[in-house]
Amino acid sequence: MVTRRVAEVMLSAAVRRWPVELREDLRREWSAELHVLATERRRLRMLGFAASLALRRNDGPLAGRRPVRGPVGRTAAALLLAPVVGVAIVLLSAIVMNVVVGQFLLTAVGWGTQAQMPLWTAMTAGLAVVLARFAARWGSRSALIGPLRTALGIMLPVGVVIVGIEYAMSAEGLVRAAPGLLSWLTFLTLVLWGASSLAGRGRIRAAWWFGVVGALLAADLAVVLTVVNQIPADPGTIVGGAPQFDTVDRVSAPLWLFVTWTDWSFGLPRPTPWEIFLITDVVVTEAVLYLAVTPYALAYVISAARSSRDEPGTARPPRASIA
Amino acid sequence: MRLTLPVVKVLSALLAEPDTERYGLDLMKLTNLPSGTLYPVLHRLQEAGWLEADWETIDPAVEGRPARRYYRLTADGATAARQALAELRVLSRDARPVRGGAEPTGAPAW
Repeated sequence: MVTRRVAEVMLSAAVRRWPVELREDLRREWSAELHVLATERRRLRMLGFAASLALRRNDGPLAGRRPVRGPVGRTAAALLLAPVVGVAIVLLSAIVMNVVVGQFLLTAVGWGTQAQMPLWTAMTAGLAVVLARFAARWGSRSALIGPLRTALGIMLPVGVVIVGIEYAMSAEGLVRAAPGLLSWLTFLTLVLWGASSLAGRGRIRAAWWFGVVGALLAADLAVVLTVVNQIPADPGTIVGGAPQFDTVDRVSAPLWLFVTWTDWSFGLPRPTPWEIFLITDVVVTEAVLYLAVTPYALAYVISAARSSRDEPGTARPPRASIA
Repeated sequence: MRLTLPVVKVLSALLAEPDTERYGLDLMKLTNLPSGTLYPVLHRLQEAGWLEADWETIDPAVEGRPARRYYRLTADGATAARQALAELRVLSRDARPVRGGAEPTGAPAW
């Protein structure tokens, strides 16, 4: 139901990009296809169908805009657009989560509040995978050559967008989050570099394993650094029987990323519910952004490396006009 | 008509069975093109007169779904498409095969 509504919103946005005289027919045509996908419960396909129409640039005469030409332009457009789409995914997921929890779950069940983070995480992850599928296609036509250049080409726009968001939210918050952010940007760049190198040697499965495990470790380390930088382990001087600071026991540190995504301690004694609240309060934005960005970054580098291996030193497929 | 790879894929799919009408999702499956690429191509082909579209004549209440829009090549379009693809084939004969390329639906129909 929610995915269909989201798809319909994206279709409305897509229709508005076409000339007025075509819109009614296109809306009718796309709604009919959407209806079939919804009836068959192919939710991901439905979102992909609508998202592709909403995100795809129209070709010349349709929008009256000059399309981006050439592999360099397409690569730049993809790499600049992808982080923005990642942020949009996080926002859209948050809105949907709030609607679902606030309008339905809170009044219907007693565990509505606990469902907030899992819902947000699941929807962000789902949409991030959709974005990754597009990124894989963009990556296969990448103009960037070499694993390091491709990794940097992806991570520089990501860094600018995420630092910008942190700064817009709070300059002080950016300073406090800086160690975690810098470590994530650095380590994920290295992970992408490694995954791209493996894919370039034809070891695609190894590239995915290395990329996924490495990206999880990079995100986990970043979350740990951010929490450690902001929440002490020691309660400080006891004044009147009360500790001066909220604390989080470091023993559960490796779990903090997953705890933030799920709002759950996996049945372990640590972190406690109060510690989970403190951790989530500090790193929730970063943790969800990492989840939105990582899949497309991995998909792009692996696809680009795979493509350059398939066509070593050759020109791209012929796309020239013969008319 | 500017023959980009998506255009070639769509024309190949339609020429594989020129008398069969195809709807959007069907063509997406045949060409492996995303919706955002397919529909602009269909529009350009209609503008060029190579393609025509008609609404399915069904009773939505009976079928349980809205009517779909079906596409088929016009007679002129089929001729022009065959000729254009044949020219492209000659031009790329000496080139390396295009990965995932111009023959997405199996044997070319021209």
